[in-house]
Amino acid sequence: MNTSVKIGSLILKNPVTVASGTAGYGEELSAFVNLAELGAVFTKGLSLEPREGNKGPRIIETSSGVLNSIGLQNVGLKAFLKEKLPFLLSKNAVVIPNIAGHSIDENIELCKILSETEGISALELNVSCPNVEQGGMAFGRDIRTFSKLLRKARKATKGILIVKLSPNVDDVAAFAKAAEDFGADAVSAINTVLGMKIDVKSRKPYFLRKSAGLSGPAIKPIAVRIVYEIFERVNIPIIGLGGISCFEDMLEFIMAGASAVSIGTMNLVNPSVASDCIAKLEEYMVKEKINDINELVGIAHR
Amino acid sequence: MATLIDKPLEVCKDHYLLKIDIGISLSHPGQFANIKIGKNDPLLRRPFSIFDHKENIIEIIFKVVGKGTEILKNICKAGYLDVIAPLGQGFSITENKNTLLIGGGVGNAPLYYLAKQLKAKNNIVNYLYAARSKDYIFFEDKYRLISNTFYLATDDGSGGRKGTACDISGELAGGSGYDIVYTCGPAIMMAGIVRIFQNPDTRIEVSLENYFGCGIGLCSGCAVETNAGIKRACVDGPAFDGRVIDWGSLLQ
Ligand SMILES: Cc1cc2nc3c(=O)[nH]c(=O)nc-3n(C[C@H](O)[C@H](O)[C@H](O)COP(=O)(O)OP(=O)(O)OC[C@H]3O[C@@H](n4cnc5c(N)ncnc54)[C@H](O)[C@@H]3O)c2cc1C
Ligand SMILES: Cc1cc2nc3c(=O)[nH]c(=O)nc-3n(C[C@H](O)[C@H](O)[C@H](O)COP(=O)(O)O)c2cc1C
Ligand code: FES
Repeated sequence: MNTSVKIGSLILKNPVTVASGTAGYGEELSAFVNLAELGAVFTKGLSLEPREGNKGPRIIETSSGVLNSIGLQNVGLKAFLKEKLPFLLSKNAVVIPNIAGHSIDENIELCKILSETEGISALELNVSCPNVEQGGMAFGRDIRTFSKLLRKARKATKGILIVKLSPNVDDVAAFAKAAEDFGADAVSAINTVLGMKIDVKSRKPYFLRKSAGLSGPAIKPIAVRIVYEIFERVNIPIIGLGGISCFEDMLEFIMAGASAVSIGTMNLVNPSVASDCIAKLEEYMVKEKINDINELVGIAHR
Repeated sequence: MATLIDKPLEVCKDHYLLKIDIGISLSHPGQFANIKIGKNDPLLRRPFSIFDHKENIIEIIFKVVGKGTEILKNICKAGYLDVIAPLGQGFSITENKNTLLIGGGVGNAPLYYLAKQLKAKNNIVNYLYAARSKDYIFFEDKYRLISNTFYLATDDGSGGRKGTACDISGELAGGSGYDIVYTCGPAIMMAGIVRIFQNPDTRIEVSLENYFGCGIGLCSGCAVETNAGIKRACVDGPAFDGRVIDWGSLLQ
C-alpha cells in the first residue's frame, strides 16, 4: 500500500499536512501529534524581522468557521533558524516554512536563505494573507505583481517552491497556471476568504483592520470547487486546504485533484485531527482495496 | 477521555456547576479546561477555569452568556465530554503570607480552588467576593468557610455591602499589609484593582479571560500586550503579574 505523494521532487510519506498559522512551530502541537508521522508541517508565515501582529481583537468564531486577523505575528528569520527549526528537526518533522515578506525583496531574500538552509524540505510562498497592510494578498490578487514576484522567487529558490493562492480573485486557476508557467513546483489552495464582522453593540467593524480571513468548515465547499478548477488547468501538484475537519473532508479534496491536503483551523479545535486522518486513510485504503493513494487524486474528474 | 459525572447543576441565577472526570489528579489553581460543545457549530472550544479538583474530578462553574454555554446548560445526562485539561499557567502559590483574593462575578470560580491551596500552605486568606446582586452569588458558604476574613459586596447592595469590587478594594488597600493580591473578574475590574494596590511590595496576580481561539498556543488569537512584549494568554497565562499587563490595550 502506498500512501506517499510527490510535491515536485519531495516525497511526503502521506498526504496529510498541517497548515501555516494553525500549527505554530510545532512545539505545542507535538503534545498532541507525532510530528514525524505527518506528511509535512507548514510553519507560521515568516518575515525577516519578528512581527508583533495586529492590535485589537484577532479571532472570533462565526457559524462553523472563524474569522482571524492575526497579522502574521512571527518570531522572525533569526529565531526561526536558531530555535524553531532545530526543534522541528529534532522531532523528525518535514518542515515547510511559509514565507510572508512585506516586499518583493524581502520575499526573495527569505527564499534564498531558507532554500539554502539544511533541513528545510520546501518553501511555501504566501501571496495570500489578507491580514497585513503591505505584501500578503496584494501579491496574490494582481496577476502582474504575482508574476513579477514569482519569476524572482523561482530564481532565488534552490529547492521546491510552493505558492499559496488567494481565493479572493475571480479566477484562482489563472494564478495557478501562472505559478506553473513560472516554474513553481506546486500550489496550495486556499488561504482564508475575506470576510467581516460588525459588532452590533459598538456599531463598528469588530476587527481594527475591518476585514479578516474566514476559515474552517464554513469555507470547505469554496475550497473544494477551487481545487477542482485548478486541477483542470495545471499539471503541478495541488495541496488542498480549507475547512478540512475529518477524513471524509480530506477525501473530497483528493478526489477534486489535491495530491496532498492541509488541516488548518481544525487543529485549533481538535489538535490530534491530523493523526486521526492518517489512521483513517490507511483503514480506508485497505477497505476500498486501493493500492496507491495517487489513484484517487482527481478521480472526480474522470 | 473525560466524562461528565452528572448533568449541570444550577448554583445561582444563570450559573451552573459541572463535574468532570478528566482522568488526571493534578492541576494548579488558575488553570483551565477547554471544552468542545457540539460538532462544527459552535466550532471552537470554550475555556473555563477549574473551580475545584479532587482526585480525578474537576469542577467548573460556568455562566450562561451565549450559544455554547446555553447548549452546555441543557446537557441532560452524564457521559462522554470532549475536554482538554488542565491547560495554561496558574497562579503562584505562596506560603505563610497575608493574601487577599478578589473575585468579580464568575471570576470567583478559580479563586475558590486557589483559596483552598493557599490555606493548605499556611497563608492568611482574606476574600472579597463581589457580584452584581444577591441572585448571582454561588456557594457563599464554601467561600466563607475557606476564608479567614470574608467580605461580600454587591453592586446593588442586595447582598453584603453595597459597592463594586473596586469600591471595597479601595478601602481594604488603605490599611493593607497584604503581601499578595489575586484577582479574577472583568478586565475593567482587574485593571482597577491593579491601580488601587500601588504599594510595590504587594504582588498582584490576575487571571485573564480574554477570547481564546485554541487555548493551546497554536493561533496567537489570545495575544495580550505586556511590558515584555506580546504574550499568549492561553499558554503564558491566564495568570499573570497584574503590573506587566498593558490594560489600555486590553480594554479597547
Ligand atoms: C482562561 C479563561 C477562563 C474562563 N473561565 C470561566 C469560568 O470559570 N466560568 C465562566 O462562566 N466563564 C469563563 N470564561 C469565559 C468563557 O470562556 C466564555 O463565557 C464562554 O466561552 C462563552 O461561550 P458561549 O458560546 O456561551 O458565548 P458566545 O456565544 O461565544 O459569546 C457570547 C458573548 O460573550 C462574548 N464572549 C465570549 N467569550 C468571551 C470571553 N472569553 N471574554 C469576553 N467576552 C466573551 C462574546 O463576544 C459574545 O458577545 C473563561 C475564559 C477564559 C479565557
Ligand atoms: C489563525 C490562523 C492563522 C493563519 N496564518 C497563516 C499564515 O501565517 N500563513 C498562511 O499562508 N496562511 C495562514 N492561515 C491560513 C491557513 O493556513 C489556511 O490556508 C486557511 O485557514 C484555510 O484552511 P482551514 O479552513 O483548514 O483553516 C491562517 C489561518 C488561521 C485560522
Ligand atoms: S488561544 Fe490560540 S494561542 Fe492562545
